[in-house]
Formats: sequence, structure tokens, C-alpha cells
Amino acid sequence: MGKGIPGLEQTCHAFFVAALILLAVMVVLCLIRAIIGPRIADRIVAVNMMGTIVMVIIAILAVMLQEGYLADICLIYAMISFLAVIVLTKVYMGVYLEKKQEEEKNDGSV
Amino acid sequence: MAVFEWLRFLAGAGLLLFGLGIFAIEMFGVFRFRYVLNRMHAAAMGDTLGIGFSLIGLILINSFNFTSLKLFFVVVFLWFSSPVSSHLIARLEVTTDEEPEKHYRRMTLRQVEEDLAQKHSAEEAAAGLNEKKSDTVGEES
Repeated sequence: MGKGIPGLEQTCHAFFVAALILLAVMVVLCLIRAIIGPRIADRIVAVNMMGTIVMVIIAILAVMLQEGYLADICLIYAMISFLAVIVLTKVYMGVYLEKKQEEEKNDGSV
Repeated sequence: MAVFEWLRFLAGAGLLLFGLGIFAIEMFGVFRFRYVLNRMHAAAMGDTLGIGFSLIGLILINSFNFTSLKLFFVVVFLWFSSPVSSHLIARLEVTTDEEPEKHYRRMTLRQVEEDLAQKHSAEEAAAGLNEKKSDTVGEES
């Protein structure tokens, strides 16, 4: 972006680098939330947020480096993070319900 | 022509900065709220509004070409998928919560209406009292 216009290319680059640093700090904060989150749902929400912020980082890199294929990676990342949330919730809920049923059966027999 | 390029960059940079601000508010809310179902509200805001503004700003900075179309598709996909994943996470939380009465309370619509009617009548009675004794200032009930 901004080839041949004095000052615009450098400004653009500096702005993108600043935005990337800010987003990196936010990813670290999300990681802290995922570690201290007391419940499972907390962690899944934090990982989902991390995925969103990483998507913005990839999109900024795609525009900054003028590499079009990074936008494809961004799209695939969105799909995979959505799939990860669905699978995690379904698996965790299934395991929880199974455990609960087993406990009830044990309580009934004893 | 250079002026237009600068203007386009400034508009895109403003939108991107607004999106980053939304992300900052999201982080603040996620650390500030006390329970998952509250935190999810803040997180979902970043998922839709934050990424929407950031990517629209990037589309403006990048000119309108195929990369911009892909970025637009990312936004559209997230706007469809984020409510679904939020719903799934909320259902997981409600299903696996061992002690729900500590975190939230269930109520029906009729209960809410009755509560509101009670509060309303109490407020009206308090207002009538205040009008009679005009020297006292109305306290919060």
C-alpha cells in the first residue's frame, strides 16, 4: 500500500506494527484468562477470544505483507476455531452426562 | 491522487483503531465480570463488533481486490458462527453447573411481572408518602 507516495508507506508500516504489538499483548491477556478461569466454560470462551484476535493478526499481516494467501489461512482458521468450540463443548457435555448417569446407577445399587 | 490515498488510509486506520478499542473493552470486561455467563457477553461483543470494525478498516486500507473479498467472507462467517458457539458454551455451562443457585437464579416471566408490579406499587406508595411529608428526601428502596 502507498507505493510512490512519500511518507505513506512508512506510516502504514509503523501503524500496522503498533496494532500487532497491541494485539499480541491482548493474546497474552487471553491466555492468562484461560489459565486462571475457574470453570471449563471460562477456558473455552478465552480460547475462542484468542482465536478471534489471532484472526485479526493474520488479516493485518495479509494486508501488511501484501500476501493474498494469508486471507485464505484466516478463513480456514475461523472455521477450525468454530469446529474446535463445537467439539469441545459436545465432548465435555457427553463425558459429564455419562459420569453423572454412572454415579446415579451406583447410588441406586448401593 | 496522493491526498485520496492518505484519506483512505486515515479512514481505514480509524476503523482499525476503533476495532482495537473494542477488543480492549472486551478484555476489560472479561477480567471484570464475576461469572462465565456474564463474561460471555463481553467476549461475544469482541467476536462480532471488534472483528467487524477491524476487518472493514483493513478492507479500506487494502484496496478493493480479491483479498478484501476474502476478508469480508471472514467477517460474514464469524457473524454466523459466533452466536452459535456462544449458545453452545452457555448450554454447556448451564448443564454442568453443580451449584447453580450460587451463580444465578431461574425465574419465569410471571414471577418477573409480579416482582415488577410489587416494586411499582411500593414505589407509588413511597411517592405518596413523600408528597405528604415534603421535608424528607426519597430514599432508595
